[in-house]
Amino acid sequence: MYRNFSWTRFLSALFCMGLFSCGENAEIQSYTAPNHYEGPVVAWELPDQWGENPGMGGIMAGSFHIKTDDGPQGRIGVMPFRDSVETSQVVNMFARELGHRDYNQSTVDQVLQKKELGGRSFELIRLEDKASEEETQRTALLALHRQDGQTWLFPFIANKKLVNEQLDNFYAFLSSTTLRAGKTPVRAVAPSLPPAQPASSPHQPTWETPPHWERKPSTQMRIGNYAVTNDAGDSLDFSITSFPGQVGGILANVNRWLGQVGIEATDEEGLKQYLSDRTVDEKPAKLVLAESEDQALYAAILFHKGRSWFLKLMGERSLAQTEKENFLRLVDSFCLGDH
Amino acid sequence: MSQKPKGISSLSERRKRFAWLIPFADLRITLTLLSLSMILIFVATLEQVRVGIRGAQAEFFESMYGIWHYPTQFWGGEYLNPMPIPIPGGYLLGGLLIFNLLAAFITRFQWSGKKMGIQFIHLGIIMLLVGQLATQAMQEESRMQIDKGESKNYLERFHGVELAFIDVTNPNTEQVVALPQELLEQGGIHYAKELPFKVKVLEFGPNCEFNSLPPAQKTSGPAKGVNRGVIQTANLEIRPKPEDFSSEGMNFGYVVFALFDGKESLGTWAAISHPAGNHWWAQINPKMGDLAFQPIRTNGRLWGATLRPQREYLPYSIELLGIANEFYQGTDIPFNFESEIVLKMEENQSRRALVYMNTPLRHAGKTFYQYQMNKAADYTVFQVVRNPSWLVPYIACVLVSIGLLWQFSFHLLRFLTKNSKANLASS
Repeated sequence: MYRNFSWTRFLSALFCMGLFSCGENAEIQSYTAPNHYEGPVVAWELPDQWGENPGMGGIMAGSFHIKTDDGPQGRIGVMPFRDSVETSQVVNMFARELGHRDYNQSTVDQVLQKKELGGRSFELIRLEDKASEEETQRTALLALHRQDGQTWLFPFIANKKLVNEQLDNFYAFLSSTTLRAGKTPVRAVAPSLPPAQPASSPHQPTWETPPHWERKPSTQMRIGNYAVTNDAGDSLDFSITSFPGQVGGILANVNRWLGQVGIEATDEEGLKQYLSDRTVDEKPAKLVLAESEDQALYAAILFHKGRSWFLKLMGERSLAQTEKENFLRLVDSFCLGDH
Repeated sequence: MSQKPKGISSLSERRKRFAWLIPFADLRITLTLLSLSMILIFVATLEQVRVGIRGAQAEFFESMYGIWHYPTQFWGGEYLNPMPIPIPGGYLLGGLLIFNLLAAFITRFQWSGKKMGIQFIHLGIIMLLVGQLATQAMQEESRMQIDKGESKNYLERFHGVELAFIDVTNPNTEQVVALPQELLEQGGIHYAKELPFKVKVLEFGPNCEFNSLPPAQKTSGPAKGVNRGVIQTANLEIRPKPEDFSSEGMNFGYVVFALFDGKESLGTWAAISHPAGNHWWAQINPKMGDLAFQPIRTNGRLWGATLRPQREYLPYSIELLGIANEFYQGTDIPFNFESEIVLKMEENQSRRALVYMNTPLRHAGKTFYQYQMNKAADYTVFQVVRNPSWLVPYIACVLVSIGLLWQFSFHLLRFLTKNSKANLASS
């Protein structure tokens, strides 16, 4: 028996162990660990009728639409602000857009309601566009929640009928949110961004684009968004944006753009070499034409009724020169639609 | 009257029983294999210039065979270089050597007290070979970077990434579900009961180049179908690259994956791993900061997706109290790197330790070597090695030593006995 326990068996076993028993099968690892995440935590449960907007960026933590038979409509957002901002500041951001006068804290209090949702207190403000028809009346329902020195804004913008229909869903959405301030600050200091214009707005601006310009989805910032490319791989980016006020004025904006195309910033005197007058939608506007060695910037700037409008083409110089006439035709075709 | 020694009789029995092993026990095979091993070491050393230490190790030692091209710098290189020359790899030669030794052990060696030294020597060599094989299969090398005043309780692998989904909704603990690189290489759909979605791995690569395209330009390559997350918002283009095995190599692994809630697609994401840690992304470009945590919100929970060096969490943590580095006087040549740490173990036990060159910290089967240090940024990096078979070479050396001692002593004693007998006879 003892002889049967041979060295050969022992060594064979050792050999086989060495050869075959060392590999490990890869598998999914699941475990819990102390939470080291330092960013803000924002989570929610979406109502069935809502969909998420892709390509979200900037200060938005979330952006949604309502699924209807006529396609996606309305816009609901989640925006964290670093500071505990005044309610009137937030309200004015939307009020100007809807043709309201500026609110102060006392006038805001008249339109403000407080509501407990999911064990938390929300400020609710409803603003309606008085200039439009009853059914299609553009409505902004703003919900604000303050917590740990941060303000969370949930703007719901749609026509009046849709806002009323989706009110319960909006409240359920607010109740479902998990909001926790992070150790790292959120990006937006204070409200500065206007809501995107809904498709049904009677004040929707219009313009004519060359057929070969490729339309891209509008974003929170861009009312018009196009790409222009050629066979050589050159590309141009064209955008139409609008903001309340003059957002720093012409010099600040042009200097920012010049930096993007590799041209040094200039002063009021130097600005004249890039600037010329042009009429856009029967209103006085400015045309900016600047070219570096390989990049070009063509833009039209229009200030009208407390808003600024920017039509900007930027990219490869050679392609921009080819498309310059198309750009100027587009600028000439631009119509604010308010007359 | 004469009786054969027991060892010889058992050898002949074994030779009959294992007759098929006899050709494999040939000493010429041993010499051929040892010669080929020398050629392998020579070729792999040359190839280190081309692919680095890790590349040469993977290509020639951790394989059955490697393909070598005669260097162009050598005589006749311009003609001979295009010809691929197969070189037997470490696994093949090691395996054959073990087999050859075992065959010799069984069919050629006498298992007697007289020859016990030889048996011990060969057993030791077999153990060395098997131990090396086990080390290659089981040894794990990781790094642990700790900032001064902070504690760390996880290691990061030097090589190999994982696609981690982290639920950070709970303020105290995070739920982590990680897909190791092997699964990413396999592709396909993966589930875990802790995940609220299925993960379909569309493409994985160990290294890539990337750049941010102008907004108007469409991306091509692996990121073409990506419609969610940082790669889409930053309009990043990914261009796959072969893995860089050199010691200075920086490999940016990438993965493209789609998530599904049931049959409904939640979108397609891509992620890139920064070899020095994903916290670097925000410093390279704020737009890419989210590569350390791409938010995915579903069912009221906030998950983050990231491709990061594969992690291993430990049941203990190490706090860095301070670091010191000394240089030879008047030079920039390091004389000593030293980290003062506190090892915080289970049940609130702790111990202080100094980790410095050639004096590692050993705890729970892992060895922490002083690896890198940055005095200006106040952090230290330990190289952490786990090698369950680390004792095998020591045991093997002891066996070989005993064998040599036995063999020489046996012959010496026999010689001395014979000599004294001869002296007695002559006197």
